Amino acid sequence: MNLGTRKILDNSFTAVGMGSIVVMALALLAVLTPIVYNGVGAVFFTGTIEHRTILYKEYGRGDAKTIETQTATAERYRGEAYRMLSDFEAEMEGMPFEASSRYRSQYAQVRAAMSSLLGPLPGDPTPMLTRFQYGQTRWEKAEEKLHEILYEKKWDYSDPTVMAKAFYVPRAEAFAGTMLAPLFGYLDRHLADMMQPEFTVYWGFFTDRSLDAHIFGGIWPEIQGTFFLAIGAMLFAFPLGVIAAVYFTEYAKEGFFTSILRSANSTLAGVPSIVFGLFGLAFFINTMKVSESKSVLAGSLTLAIMILPTIIRAAEEAILSVPKTYKEASLGLGSTKWNTIATVILPAALPGIITGGIISLGRAAGETAPIIFTAAVSVGSAIGIADVFSSPTPALSWNIYNLASEHEMACEIRHVQYGMVLSLVSIVLLLNLSAILLRAKISQKLKG
Amino acid sequence: MKLFSKFLMGAAVLGVMASGDASAAGKIVMDGSTTVGPIAKSFAAYFQKTTGTEVTVSESGSGNGAKSIINGTCDIANMSRAMKDKEVAAAKAKGVNPVEHIVALDGLAVVVNPGNRVTALSIAQIRDIYSGKITNWSKVGGPNAQIVKIQRESNSGTQDTFKSLVMGKEYPISKRAESQASNGAVKNRVSTTPAAIGFIGLGFVDSSVKPLLVDGVAPSAETVKNGTYPISRPLFMYTNGQPTGVVKQFIDLNKTSDGMRMISELGFVNK
Repeated sequence: MNLGTRKILDNSFTAVGMGSIVVMALALLAVLTPIVYNGVGAVFFTGTIEHRTILYKEYGRGDAKTIETQTATAERYRGEAYRMLSDFEAEMEGMPFEASSRYRSQYAQVRAAMSSLLGPLPGDPTPMLTRFQYGQTRWEKAEEKLHEILYEKKWDYSDPTVMAKAFYVPRAEAFAGTMLAPLFGYLDRHLADMMQPEFTVYWGFFTDRSLDAHIFGGIWPEIQGTFFLAIGAMLFAFPLGVIAAVYFTEYAKEGFFTSILRSANSTLAGVPSIVFGLFGLAFFINTMKVSESKSVLAGSLTLAIMILPTIIRAAEEAILSVPKTYKEASLGLGSTKWNTIATVILPAALPGIITGGIISLGRAAGETAPIIFTAAVSVGSAIGIADVFSSPTPALSWNIYNLASEHEMACEIRHVQYGMVLSLVSIVLLLNLSAILLRAKISQKLKG
Repeated sequence: MKLFSKFLMGAAVLGVMASGDASAAGKIVMDGSTTVGPIAKSFAAYFQKTTGTEVTVSESGSGNGAKSIINGTCDIANMSRAMKDKEVAAAKAKGVNPVEHIVALDGLAVVVNPGNRVTALSIAQIRDIYSGKITNWSKVGGPNAQIVKIQRESNSGTQDTFKSLVMGKEYPISKRAESQASNGAVKNRVSTTPAAIGFIGLGFVDSSVKPLLVDGVAPSAETVKNGTYPISRPLFMYTNGQPTGVVKQFIDLNKTSDGMRMISELGFVNK
């Protein structure tokens, strides 16, 4: 091969390498940007007076006086709108039946949207469910609701052969000439007066319990459950994994049995996580009966066996990478085998072992499938440490799935879902970061 | 090793920090249907507030609810269908005596995308669509578009109800039908897919989808209650033996006026 060809090949290889790194970085950016952007919206947003009222009434936070004055102002502007509603209702009473029935269903829609925007309307009974007791807590949602009041979504069915397209008609036209007509302009002009929007930083999102199945409030039970499960899994898997790795590297004789064990371990590392979940249900809960129902304990055990192979492999590699001379020196000085392992080999291998452990910790925190049947619930309060043996817990990974698909108001509370995603990603990222730092610190210490 | 113990300490501190509220008197574990889920979750929040009893709710499908009560891993199994004979037998074999409680009634709304001009179908037409005999909306007065059939997974009580009330034994659902794992997922799919058709619990219907008139009757609380809407069903909570103590108190919530109001606010129908 002449020099020119070699150079071209060389350069093109570099180009491909650089290209793939750029693609990877872009992909990462494309994944992380919406997560961060939307997730941050769960904490930093423009909150309305309804948000502050909930915080005050349900969590006892906030300044009573400011809330009172703001509520009074908001109520003054809302009162005007309520008056228009009742005026129109009176007007409808006086209409002949055919005329009033023309408005009835449209008016019901307006009323429903109004009460969803502002909370229960005067005269309506206080709803039982917390979700209907308050109006919109976020400004962007309030604007959406306003749009719903101002415009009616209609479908153009004129061409019978194709799917209809949606279009919007101002409701003001439908109610033209009635006493409701001025309402629409009024709402449009005074939305801010009625909702009192303010830039809000809601740190409570991370530390509050959820209210009415995540529709209001925070995600503390989920964050805590995630920590419990991940740390619980670590408590089981880490010691077991290190002991197994010591056995493999220092005690086991190379032979048929050991190689079977090794390949079994590698196979286990590749088993889909849902299989571990079902195994955990069948073995830990139904057979061993470690707890009456799903529990943190059962979930931790299941996660532990899932991350065990990774920990064993990482620990094994770390122990094997300790220079042979260390061991020989220790044994040569008359130390016993066990003493050599505990005082010379393990400390030297510690950075590698811990890295493997913490990466597994991140994986345990993020897995959904193993905990569906063994530990996770969609609604539950934060549990005390004494309850981990008997109580199931909400956990971030499972609740993200639940909010994405099963929740009855999934579309209304996307911000909570994104907040959960951001929290989970941050937790995993933090764990991995701490692994890197810890490793660096320990290897520095060993060198020094 | 010092660093390692520091790390362990950190973990321990986190754990202690987390042990905020201690356990209250008694607890109830619920598992099962995603359709009954909203009722169970609202009851749970209410019950926890009024009595201080911890209630946890999982939504993993009616089939899993049945399995949980058979294995004794939950106190109450939420189900959107009655227990099958096979499940009752399995329960009896394990010494579990499932007792049925009807918590509410529910209609199964057949929904399409609001962009679809079709507003009503007969049971026979729905059956033909799902069995694969009718594949284009134009056959039932709609636009010229291939029908996208959405069904639920086999674990679902909603799916069982649909099969027994609409399909009958001799018409299996076409293999072309796409499966979704929950009411919410079906609703999402239908609201984003113009040519889709699906079925969801009445409590899940909102303006993003259009419920069809079935045999000329619109699904609503009234038509479900008076029995004129053809696809309706009771929703169940199962307990092991006659419930006692807090579980009984919980099961009886749907007979209290607060419970009944919660059920109707959620869009379900009181018994």
